[in-house]
Amino acid sequence: MIGAELAIGAGAALVCGLDRIAALQIMISRPIVAAPLVGWLLGDVAVGLEIGLMVELLWQARLPVGAAIPPDDTQVSIAGTVLAVSLGKLLGQSGLEYQLLCLLIALPFGKFGQFFDRFARQYNGRKIAQSDRWLENGQFYAMERAHRMGLCCFALAAVGTYLVIICGGLVMIPLLAPLLLPSLEVSAEWLRIALPLVGISVVLGTINVSRALTLFGASFGMAFLLMWLV
Amino acid sequence: MPKLGKWKLLQVWLRLLLLQGSWNFERLQGGGWFYAMAPVLRVLYGEKEMQRIAREHVGYFNTHPYLAPTVAGAVIRLELERAAGKEPEIGILDFKEMVAAPYAAVGDALFWGGLRPLAAGIALLLAAKGLVIAPLVFLLLFNALPLWFRIAGFLSAYELGLQSVGFLQRRNLPDLAIRTKEMAVVLLGGVAAFLVFQLLESKQKPLWLGFLAVPAVLLCGYLARRGISTLMLVFLSSGLILICSYFSADVAVWLP
Repeated sequence: MIGAELAIGAGAALVCGLDRIAALQIMISRPIVAAPLVGWLLGDVAVGLEIGLMVELLWQARLPVGAAIPPDDTQVSIAGTVLAVSLGKLLGQSGLEYQLLCLLIALPFGKFGQFFDRFARQYNGRKIAQSDRWLENGQFYAMERAHRMGLCCFALAAVGTYLVIICGGLVMIPLLAPLLLPSLEVSAEWLRIALPLVGISVVLGTINVSRALTLFGASFGMAFLLMWLV
Repeated sequence: MPKLGKWKLLQVWLRLLLLQGSWNFERLQGGGWFYAMAPVLRVLYGEKEMQRIAREHVGYFNTHPYLAPTVAGAVIRLELERAAGKEPEIGILDFKEMVAAPYAAVGDALFWGGLRPLAAGIALLLAAKGLVIAPLVFLLLFNALPLWFRIAGFLSAYELGLQSVGFLQRRNLPDLAIRTKEMAVVLLGGVAAFLVFQLLESKQKPLWLGFLAVPAVLLCGYLARRGISTLMLVFLSSGLILICSYFSADVAVWLP
């Protein structure tokens, strides 16, 4: 059963991973979409929604511009959801504290996404000389095939990252769960808002808007007072 | 002047959705650009001539993926003129180089820097309320503008050729980008307030404590600006909360 669920996650990782850079870019790769999508496929959309909520803003400020490669928040959110739903069933664990444990373990593995992504881009770069030879020989269809092969590289990079996070999670979660779950149980709700707040602070720290702090402070104060007093 | 069928144009447009498929550090989107333009070049030129022309389309190319159709539409128009024997006022290679970088800059600022956090903020508010439509709302809010630019930009640029630069100039995108970013900041303030309020209410703690979140957010923002990574900030904040929970049952017991 868990094998089938991991495979469903891998399928989603592939599709969403392609959307991240190589194809479409309609943003199904964003955690707020990818995690609930996987949660829905695995029969627990609420878990995906929680994980998407916590991850979405974390690397929002890292723009996928030029050669910049942000950590792979897509695979973190997908693998985090798969671990929370599937491994949770196996371990008899559920609830916000367990979702947080899965996420906190998945987060550092997101860095592997950068390595895989860089590898895919370097592999594509190595095909340039071959592509130039095809051009000289008038083999234009071969050049087009080479481009489509590039898509496969990005797909493999996405699935590779997903598998690394899943393997890391399968090893570490059963080991760390008895140690961390008791304290996570009492602090889960604080952590649930800490992650989006960190994301918001990083966006504020890096967004190029004059008077960003004034705007943020005024809007926070106004919204908070309205909720408090009304 | 030779004409292109609607199917050919659609083919190019669909291929532009895969523009970054062979992204690499040497030519960035160069391979994808040739892949998108190949169906048109094949119609317009014979094999020998295409070889010469294709060299102009395989080199370095980098622009924003949502504005690439605007570049492509104009380039197709210029290729049609060239195929008809009319040399364009500006070389096709020069035109590509001239518009790609500014389009990339304005696209990054508008779509990645402004629209994405704005749509995410709205979706997060819904997700925090437990509404499962949050992802759909995000997709609809975010994709409406890029899709419009992808379609209208391509068609207008195909009609206008070199004048297509005016299509984007009229929209005043840099200004729109700044306004979108400002809206995003305001909205994120509201999201932060909502999350903090929701937590304090559920923990039945004095609500004035919520205002302490502002300096905490600003401190994290300052640290991020000083180069502390997001991951480090996540582990610092999580570690702090977890350590607190080791010493008492709940962080909240330390609060009044």
